[in-house]
Amino acid sequence: MNELPKVNAQEGAVSVPARQITSCDDVSCELLVDPIPRPTPEPLEVILKPTERRVRFVDHSKPNSIKILRMSQQLLRDRGIEVEEEILNKGDASQRMPGELLGLLSGEKGLVLCGVSD
Amino acid sequence: MGLETLQDIENCMNSGWTDGLPVIPPYGSVVNEMLDAMGWRADDVSGEFPEHNVIVRAEQAAATAVMAGCAMEYGSLLRSLTEALLDPKLNICGVEVTTGGASLMVIVSGPVVSQLGFEHRENALGANCRANATVGRFAQMMRLFCGRAGGVLQPHGTIGHPGRISFCVAEHPETEWGAYHTQMGIPEDASAVSVMSTEGPNSCNNHYGDTAAQILDTIGDCMCHYGQTAWYYRSGGFVVVIAPDHMALVSKEFSRDEARAYIYEHARRQTDDLERMGRIAKEPIAFAEVEPGAMRSPLRSADQLTFIECGAAGGRFSAVIPRWVGSTHIMTKQINEKASPSSRETAEGNPK
Repeated sequence: MNELPKVNAQEGAVSVPARQITSCDDVSCELLVDPIPRPTPEPLEVILKPTERRVRFVDHSKPNSIKILRMSQQLLRDRGIEVEEEILNKGDASQRMPGELLGLLSGEKGLVLCGVSD
Repeated sequence: MGLETLQDIENCMNSGWTDGLPVIPPYGSVVNEMLDAMGWRADDVSGEFPEHNVIVRAEQAAATAVMAGCAMEYGSLLRSLTEALLDPKLNICGVEVTTGGASLMVIVSGPVVSQLGFEHRENALGANCRANATVGRFAQMMRLFCGRAGGVLQPHGTIGHPGRISFCVAEHPETEWGAYHTQMGIPEDASAVSVMSTEGPNSCNNHYGDTAAQILDTIGDCMCHYGQTAWYYRSGGFVVVIAPDHMALVSKEFSRDEARAYIYEHARRQTDDLERMGRIAKEPIAFAEVEPGAMRSPLRSADQLTFIECGAAGGRFSAVIPRWVGSTHIMTKQINEKASPSSRETAEGNPK
């Protein structure tokens, strides 16, 4: 095996499968066929730590989600955190975020909070 | 099996090339044989998810089939199934990541059931039979391998269900109401494979009823418990599994279309009760079409209900399988021996 996969240390599950596994006997080796399609080009890198102390919400239209997000806006403001007034809308929780919205959020320097589950 | 093979199985397990169970290592020679059986070349494109920059090559589907333990004889079926699984309308990535914990249910119908030795009688929804177990496992492994877009997406299923390991149901080759795929417009004498995203099956027991209406009302009641996911969005629908003893009663009085209409009409709950129970949002969106005071069906329309005939005689059970609300299509493909993609009949959606 040529590459160590990324393992979730808490649960022991492999989160990103290995790209390559080699099978060797006493005299030769062969690569096993990788069954997992991978994104090409590589997916975008996401900056996990915001560089500005600001929060922006994205609603995905689950029941009562907009209500919960509005309450959260107020709670954060009461604690002195800047919150964008406009709550962006993803439209459908079961579908991927549209490219235009993703592009907009990729330039966000604050914290983006997406979705409230039902 | 030599020690090297055991080590290869361990390596697959430890490297994320697994559904949690041991796999057959995808050696190149075996994958090539499976590619031949599926009528594909290694670099052929089996499907594409442009939104994730992911292209699925035939070699990857064939490797998955080998790993799941599928026999080479399943090649044509697996090809049709692969095309159905990777159709964007099925939303395989959504199935993988949803909090709903859905799986992919595969239905095999027509002469292929006997030809490939699928179990369609005893324990039809969880048969200990190679064809059912490995074809069902193949579909779940495709969900796992393709639905995560190479590890970019992660699953969020709240509780899931055992069908996420394998869930393949074969219909009786001889049916009372016609083959399952005829509900999708595919000819009765064809073989077909259908795939849809579902929750786990709910068993419906009625041993003492002696009329068709009693059986259909029992099934309808099972569709109407408070916990059904369907109450709000109503985007998925249900598959009703009717076993022979129930079918003997129902088919005496109802055609398939009549049974569908009967359940749609009778299986309802008071909307206000659903709202009080928290099963409908307090401020519902327009899409949910909530009418206060009205009797509400868990189906948006009758055609969201399909029937499959399988199971063993001797027990008065049927089952209701709720479909996941985020995937509105049933993908059905006709199975042709060594056919080119352009010659394949395709159907999708709900019954015609």
